[in-house]
Amino acid sequence: MAVAHPLDRYLRTDRLPTMWCPGCGLGILLGCILRALDRRIREGSLRRENVGFAGGIGCSARMTLYPYFDSAHVIHGRAIPFALGVKIVKPEMKMIVVGGDGDIAAIGGNHILHAIRRNADLVVIMANNMIYGMTGGQQAPTTPRGLYTTTTPYGNPEREINIVKLAAALGANYVARGSVTHTPLLEQMIYKALGKRGLAFVEVLSTCPELFGRHIGFRSPVDLYSELRKRVVVKTRPSVEESDYSWERGFVIGEFVDRDEPGFIEVLQEYTSRARGGAG
Amino acid sequence: MGSATAVLRVPTGKYFINVVKERCKECGLCVFVCPTKVLDKGSERNSRGYRFAVPVRPEKCIGCRMCEYSCPDFAIFIEVGGG
Repeated sequence: MAVAHPLDRYLRTDRLPTMWCPGCGLGILLGCILRALDRRIREGSLRRENVGFAGGIGCSARMTLYPYFDSAHVIHGRAIPFALGVKIVKPEMKMIVVGGDGDIAAIGGNHILHAIRRNADLVVIMANNMIYGMTGGQQAPTTPRGLYTTTTPYGNPEREINIVKLAAALGANYVARGSVTHTPLLEQMIYKALGKRGLAFVEVLSTCPELFGRHIGFRSPVDLYSELRKRVVVKTRPSVEESDYSWERGFVIGEFVDRDEPGFIEVLQEYTSRARGGAG
Repeated sequence: MGSATAVLRVPTGKYFINVVKERCKECGLCVFVCPTKVLDKGSERNSRGYRFAVPVRPEKCIGCRMCEYSCPDFAIFIEVGGG
């Protein structure tokens, strides 16, 4: 197939156009991931054959179908254990887990907890469109309080989960929140996450014009995109306490945690060699 | 298969604006994010019925690539050259 776009060499072009609705933020995120990977591959800090994608269920996890890398589309919420399994068997792999807020924060919530606790050497990218998009726009744990969804017709009465605080509390090596409305920044975050050992977590505020925007009065992709852009607050090196996640006060984006502690694979290899030494 | 990657290539002087016609889904994000309002929805439709974006004021392009970075469907990209 002829190559048109500069990112086509990282895409399974026979599967384009994507299954996402017009104006979906996920395509913007995929572009950022591929450009970050392109930079890493060009500078030689990552080999193309050592990159793997894993995704669960949902529109966001469908992202694993498009990049021309090793990729797996596994069961709902279980992309993290799958990716960790690959990483343990083949430590040279750079595993990227992509999923939505439903896949990673809700159904796979337990897996993300323990992957972060272990500081597993994974890049976890969570696209947060604030609802369950694929199944019809139901309320998700990430839905900001007060907003209409198809299952909360009088507004969402629940508190929202701030996954940045969760990831920081459990000790991830890198925690950042980006937004599809700020693409160069998002690309830089993913680029940085790809170079970290331990768990690198990037939450990405995304747009779902069809099932989120439509119900709250932002029907067109541009309306929702511009609304999100207005509500995003960019901060340089914000503290975790500053990581506001609220429809009224705004969504703070930036790099919240950046540390360099040994990842799970390193520790595991140390224990394995110690055990082998003890046996011999 | 050639038509799937048919590109509308418009020189701007310093850059080329390229639109992959069959990939555009008419979401309008490129039109919105362009700081100099180079793009607009066209009148021509692709095989899926979407009116793909066209550069209506190409001479105003500053090559910032915001359209390229914000396109969810890999349908638009900027090349340097032509000046």
